[in-house]
Amino acid sequence: MATTPTRRRSVTKTHERIAQLGWNRDYHQPVPIYDTRYVFPEKAKDPMKQVMREYLPMQLEKDERVYGGFDAALRAGMPTKADERWLQVMKPLVLILVYAEGAAGRCMSVVMDVVPNEELLNGYHVQFVDEVRHIGMQMNLARWYTKHTPDPAGWHRGQEYLPENLFTRAGINLFSHAFVGDPIAAGFTMMTVIETAFTNVAFVALPDVATRNGDFIQATTYSSVQSDEARHISNGYATMLTVLQKEENIPLIQHDLQQAWWITHAFVDPFVGTIMEYFSTDRSDTENYVTKWDRWIRDDWYRSYVEQLGTMGVDIPPDMFVRARERLVAGLHHKTAPLAFSTWPLQFWKFDPLTEKDFDWFEAQYPGWYDEYGATWEAYAALADPDEGAILLAGFMEGAPPFCWTCMLACVIDEDMCHRTCCDKEGVERTRFYCSPECRWLDETNPGRYTGDRNFFDKHHGKSLSEVILELGLLRADGKTLIGQPHLKKDRMWTIDHIRACDFQIHSPNIVQARELGLPDGNWHSDEDPFGTVQGDGNGFQPVTLYGGGAGQNGDGRVRVEDMARAAVGDTPWVKL
Amino acid sequence: MAGEVRAGERRQRRGDEPERSFQWVVPKGRKASIYEDLTLDTQSSVHRFQKSGYYVSFADGRGTWDDASTGLDVVTWSAFRDPNELWERPYFQQGAQCEREIEGAVKSARSEGLLGDVDPAWVDFLRRDGQIQAFVEHGIWSIATRRSRAALADTLTHGIVLYAAVKQRQAQAFVIEGMDLDEDLGGGFSIEAAKARWLGEPAWQDTRRVVERLGTITDWGELILVCGLVIEPLLGGLVRRELLLRGGLRAADPITPAIVRNAQREGDWWHDFALAFARFCAEDPEHGEANRALIDGWLAAWTPETLRAVDALEPVFAGAPGVDFDRAREAVVTGQQALLAAAGLGEPVAAS
Ligand SMILES: [Fe+2]
Ligand SMILES: [Fe+2]
Ligand SMILES: [Zn+2]
Ligand SMILES: [Zn+2]
Repeated sequence: MATTPTRRRSVTKTHERIAQLGWNRDYHQPVPIYDTRYVFPEKAKDPMKQVMREYLPMQLEKDERVYGGFDAALRAGMPTKADERWLQVMKPLVLILVYAEGAAGRCMSVVMDVVPNEELLNGYHVQFVDEVRHIGMQMNLARWYTKHTPDPAGWHRGQEYLPENLFTRAGINLFSHAFVGDPIAAGFTMMTVIETAFTNVAFVALPDVATRNGDFIQATTYSSVQSDEARHISNGYATMLTVLQKEENIPLIQHDLQQAWWITHAFVDPFVGTIMEYFSTDRSDTENYVTKWDRWIRDDWYRSYVEQLGTMGVDIPPDMFVRARERLVAGLHHKTAPLAFSTWPLQFWKFDPLTEKDFDWFEAQYPGWYDEYGATWEAYAALADPDEGAILLAGFMEGAPPFCWTCMLACVIDEDMCHRTCCDKEGVERTRFYCSPECRWLDETNPGRYTGDRNFFDKHHGKSLSEVILELGLLRADGKTLIGQPHLKKDRMWTIDHIRACDFQIHSPNIVQARELGLPDGNWHSDEDPFGTVQGDGNGFQPVTLYGGGAGQNGDGRVRVEDMARAAVGDTPWVKL
Repeated sequence: MAGEVRAGERRQRRGDEPERSFQWVVPKGRKASIYEDLTLDTQSSVHRFQKSGYYVSFADGRGTWDDASTGLDVVTWSAFRDPNELWERPYFQQGAQCEREIEGAVKSARSEGLLGDVDPAWVDFLRRDGQIQAFVEHGIWSIATRRSRAALADTLTHGIVLYAAVKQRQAQAFVIEGMDLDEDLGGGFSIEAAKARWLGEPAWQDTRRVVERLGTITDWGELILVCGLVIEPLLGGLVRRELLLRGGLRAADPITPAIVRNAQREGDWWHDFALAFARFCAEDPEHGEANRALIDGWLAAWTPETLRAVDALEPVFAGAPGVDFDRAREAVVTGQQALLAAAGLGEPVAAS
């Protein structure tokens, strides 16, 4: 009989036994519903495994700490002590991150559908369970903010706004890359780029800003999320090492990793950079976004991860990483922020004008900042009161840059902006604008990927601002005050009547720009289509632009995996910029 | 799929502060539950608020989500609710509780010297067949986890993921039991031996065949219903409850019943989930009839093969003391019929 009833099982032996659960099928082979261009070796790289007996109590303990933290935060009076400027921007941030968590989970499912190596499956599955946990915790955070913070308007209909909002729709676009398309490319997007490179920014650096602004419950929640990421990063690395064993995968890895990098940079850098620097009242942070980026992205990810892949035969030119940093230095988020602020009537959160204290911080961090952007911010503050009777957006719309077809954000770097023309489903030529040649490359090499009524301003072209506000349901419960406001004051809030008094017509910058350049129509919206798109409904879309006119290589208008692979590695190799 | 309910208007009309609750949540009951608040619309849909269509599509034309991912259709997928409202926190609470109870059973078996009382014939049976159910659970896990992504509402996706998670927990619990017994009862409980028997023993081959066939399911709706209405009530009930639980209790086995009881408690959740889903589809005002025909086809396609697997396990029962195959078979067949009746579905196809 046992002498030491509390003795512990060997973790290694438990893992060895659990690993025996898979077997080679004899009667029926699994049928995948997703296609991949990758091939797999016999033996995969073994990542960290989770035994449920250890995993479940560990996660429960973390959950208890987080959920307990909400009560503690309430007792400590956090809702009224935390900075209001910061609390407002949690509305889009938390909800878009919830979508990202759902994307990360679903990513595991598509990867598992095509990866035949049993060794990898356990880790993927546990990650999906983690991601369900992250959704629960972050929705609970959203719910807590809704119930307890001073001005919850916007939270209350947040999930309704999310897919149609000018900025958050671009987040839906990015994170959807993590579970649509080739599962391995999707896996790289989520595990290798978003989780390995960017969770340190989103779940470590951002919570630090939250704490500085008195919001420690955000920090508690996201630190707990981040504690699971080491395993997710390990899943990504094991996936990479597994597919690397097959030489024929290498061009695919080179191609897919660059694309995953670019689409993530294109959304996350302007979005998170703006939130971190333009929504923090606290100015004690001596590091700016670019400094943090250099530490987390350049040093810890690019130099110690991507460059190391070179020793394993993956040859990725540094151009894309260099270019992303150059765009940040050129003011990617500083140019995006004023545009975002000027669209305040269309948003579901409030904005706070910058103050002298903010100007000082920006100038110290980015010498020359005031000369370049100061006047805009002064104008913004001057027009914040409804008695001024003027809306900054009206002036902004005049010279606004087009929005990018691929990343769906504004083309704010003039020298990078480019376009191409292609046909809609009726064969009519139209113009697509891109924020960068890289975004154009993503669109060109992924026929059929970018669907839907993508351009917010095309969709609302010709309507008055007040009409769009009403259509999007952006009024508070009193039926007249806007949810979005250009300041945080309780009085002097803008109502729909104030807007009507200085109403103007929305013009899509894409349509205007195409016309000015003498290009084919820049509009991609149609009222005839149920989803407002001239190229199908995103739920049965037939790509029409591949191979010059649209039939696809089989002549039936459908693009198949072989077509994609050809576009990916054959016909359209890495484009040197 | 017309007629998605405009969120929240019902609640807005009541006098509470509308800006302090999630107005997109259409509560099933009088008030939104925390499960509804934390789950609903975390998966976006062109049938809910994504009016501009999906922004990212597959090269073959499928959108981010695809209505054709299941042959079933309902007016409003987002109206589905898990009757037990499982979300992450209770999932971890319950899962950790299962593991604690099993650990407690092992600990007391050791400290109280209970393993010496176990019927030796039952110990022999456990050496032979005690861990094989782990492969069944693992096989179900491997398809459930793959099909979860395509489901057309967050409540469905989360339900399938958590189902996969409980299957993995159950599979591992049987394997760890073998490890523990190896130490306490002097060997013979290797996973390799169990696997060899899973792969080669004739009595288990019809079970393996049907589990492998699950891997060919491409329709997530079919997956929920085949696992919920056929595989679990017939095969799961037969091996877990009728064989391992009843046999273990009679043989004074202090560990196996603790494992199975916990699995059955999770099984009750899945039973309710699948039953609710079957009703949800069968009673849909527009598509109910077509759904019922489709589900009947699935039942007809899976029940005979599953019953063959049940019948093939008679020799396994014969090798275990204190269990009766005929009674066990009758119990699971009756149980499944009651389940189908509760779902409002027709008689299953009789076994040959
Ligand atoms: Fe996550
Ligand atoms: Fe993750
Ligand atoms: Zn994550
Ligand atoms: Zn772009």
